[in-house]
Amino acid sequence: MDVLAIGLLAFAAVGYFVLAGTDLGTGMMLFFLGRDPAERRLVIAAFAPFFLGNEIWLVLTAGLLVGLFHELEGELFGALFGTVAALLAGWVIRDVGLWLRGRLDAPRWRLFWDGAIAAGSWTVTGAWGWIVGSVLLYRLDPETSPFPLIGVAAAWALFALHGLAFASLRLRGAPHERARTVTGPSGEQVTFALTSIGMAVIPLVLGARLPLRDTVTESAEFVAGTTAAVLPVLVAAQIWTWWIFRRRVTAPGYL
Amino acid sequence: MNAETLDLARLQFAITAGAHFLFVALTLGLAPLVAAVQTRATVSGSETHWRMTRFWGQLYVINYGMGIVTGLVMEFQFGLNWSGLTTVAGDVFGAPLAMETLVAFFLESTFLGLWIFGWGRINRWAHLALIWVVTLTAYVSAYWIIAANGWLQNPVGAERHGGRMVLVDRAAMLTNPDALIALAHVLGAGLLTGGFFLAGISAFHLRRATADLELFRRSLRTGMIVAVPAALFTLGVGFNQFAVVDEHLPMKYAVSTGDTAEQARLQAELAAKLGPGDYSPPDWIGVPADLMIQLGMVLFLLATVNLALAYRRRAGIVTRISRRLLTWSIPLPFVAVLCGWLFREVGRQPWTINQILRTEDALSPSASAGSMRLTLIGFTALFAVLIALDAWLLGRFARRGPDGSALGAAPEPAAEPEPVPNF
Repeated sequence: MDVLAIGLLAFAAVGYFVLAGTDLGTGMMLFFLGRDPAERRLVIAAFAPFFLGNEIWLVLTAGLLVGLFHELEGELFGALFGTVAALLAGWVIRDVGLWLRGRLDAPRWRLFWDGAIAAGSWTVTGAWGWIVGSVLLYRLDPETSPFPLIGVAAAWALFALHGLAFASLRLRGAPHERARTVTGPSGEQVTFALTSIGMAVIPLVLGARLPLRDTVTESAEFVAGTTAAVLPVLVAAQIWTWWIFRRRVTAPGYL
Repeated sequence: MNAETLDLARLQFAITAGAHFLFVALTLGLAPLVAAVQTRATVSGSETHWRMTRFWGQLYVINYGMGIVTGLVMEFQFGLNWSGLTTVAGDVFGAPLAMETLVAFFLESTFLGLWIFGWGRINRWAHLALIWVVTLTAYVSAYWIIAANGWLQNPVGAERHGGRMVLVDRAAMLTNPDALIALAHVLGAGLLTGGFFLAGISAFHLRRATADLELFRRSLRTGMIVAVPAALFTLGVGFNQFAVVDEHLPMKYAVSTGDTAEQARLQAELAAKLGPGDYSPPDWIGVPADLMIQLGMVLFLLATVNLALAYRRRAGIVTRISRRLLTWSIPLPFVAVLCGWLFREVGRQPWTINQILRTEDALSPSASAGSMRLTLIGFTALFAVLIALDAWLLGRFARRGPDGSALGAAPEPAAEPEPVPNF
C-alpha cells in the first residue's frame, strides 16, 4: 500500500511539473515571445486550452497529500508557509490574468493582465525553486539562508526552457522563431522530450528527500484504490484534450 | 499560538470560504441551466437557443474562473493554517477532500477547458456531453465537500483512538444525515440563485426592450420555472434541517432560538462531560438564520408573482414593477447563501469537529500572528478585487447581451493556411 500511495503521488506530481510546466514556462516568456499585443494573444492561445487541465494535477497532488500523507502535508506546509503562500498568490494572479485579459478590448487593460500572467508565472516557478532548494538542503527544518536561491535560479531556467520548447511546437511565425532559440540540433520534438524529462526529475528529487514512507495514512486503501481505478479515465480525458488541440495555433482563441 | 493568531486565521478562512461559496452558489445554479439550454439548442438547432447558450455560458465561465482561484486557496489553507485538524482527523477527513479532487474536480476542470476552447472543433453531441459532465462533476464535488463538512458537524463512523480519530464505518460517514440534508439545501439554494440570476438579467433586457426579446422572454420563464420550486424546496429542506441541527448541535439550536434555560442546561451538561469551558456559539447566530429564512420567503413570493406574469405578452405597470424588483433582487440569494453559511459554520463554534476538536486546537502549531496577518491582508485584498471585478464584468457582459459573448464566437480567420499536425 505504501508503494502504491507513493507511486500515485509521484505520478500526480510528475504530471503537474511536465504539463503545467508548459503553461508556466510559456507564461514566463510571454513578453519575450510576443512583442506586441496581437503576438502575445497568440502565445496565450498556444497554452490556453490546456492550462485548466494542467493545473488540476497540482490540485490532485494536494488532494493526495491530504488523503494519503496528511501528516507530511501539515509538516511540509508548516515548514514552507511563506513560500506556499507566495506560490498560491502567484498562481491566483496568473490565472486571473488569463481569465480577465480578453474581457475588455482596451490596450492598457490587456497589457496590465499580460504583465500579471508573466509576473504570476515567475512567482509560481520561483516559489517551486525555493521549495525544492530548501527541501534538498534542509529537508523539513529550513534555516534562514540564501542558498535555496540556487534552486530558484535553476527552476527559472528549467521552466523557461520547457516553456520555450513547448511554444516552438505550438506557434508559428515570429514567436515561433524566438521560441526556436532553445531548439537543439535534433529538432523541436526531441528538445521538448528532453525538457520534459528535466521537469519530471524535479518532483522525484523533491520526493526522495521527504519521509514519504513513514507518513502514509493508516486507512489509505480507499483513496489509493479509488485513485488507481480512476486514473486511467483522467489520463484518457487529458489525452483527448491534447489530441483535439494537436495543431499549431493559427488564430487567437477565447482568452 | 495566541488568541490573535487564532482570530486572524479564522478570519482568513471565513473570507476565503465565504468568497468561494458565493462563486460556487452561482456555478451550481447556472451549470445545469446552461446544460439544459444547450441540450435544446443541440436537439432543435434553433438559433435563439444557441445564442442563449453562448450568452449564459459566457457569464457562467466568467464566474467559474473566479470560483476556481478562490477554491485553490481554500484547498491549501487546511494544510497551511489548520494542520491540527488533519493531525487529529486526517485519516477520516482527508479522504473526502482527496475524493473531491479525484472523482470530480479533475474531470470538471479538464472538460470545462474542452467545452470552452473546443467550441466548434468538437462534434456537437460530444460538446453537449462535455457540459453535462461538467455539471454532474460540479454536483459530485458539492457532495464530497459537504460530506467532509457534515462530518465536522456530526462526526459519525469514527472512533477516538488515543489522540486521533480512526474511521470505523465508512458507509455511516458517506450517508451522514447531516451532510445529505445540507447537500439538498445547498443544491436548492444554488438553483434558486441561478434562477434569479437568469430571470433578473432577462427582466432588465425586457424592460429596456433591447434586442433578443424572444431570447430573454424564454430565459425569464426558465429562470422562474426553476426558482419557484427551488425556493419552495430550499425552504422546506431548511425547516427540516432544524431538527437535524437540534439533534447534533443542540447548543447551536438553543442559542439561535434564544432558549436561555436550555442553553444553561446544555452548558452544565457539556461542562460535566468535557470539562469546564464555554460551549456556546456567539449570541448573534440566530440573526443570519432569521434573515436567511425571510429572504427565502421574499424570493419565493417574488418568483411566484413573476412566473405568473411571465407569460403575458404586453407588460402592464404591475409587470414592469415586478420585473424591476426582479433585477434588483439578483444579489438577495447571495446574501441568503452567505447567511446560511454563517449560521452553519459559526454556529458550530467553539468546535472544529463537534465535541472532539476545539477550533483553537485545530490551528497549525507553527502559525504565527505576523505571517497570518500578512497572508490575511494579501488574500483579502486579492479576493476583494476579484469579487468586485467579477461583479463588474458579469454586469457588463449581462448588459451587453448575446452579441457581446466571446464564448463560442466564430474563430478569427487564420493569417496563414492551416498547417499539418506536429505531435
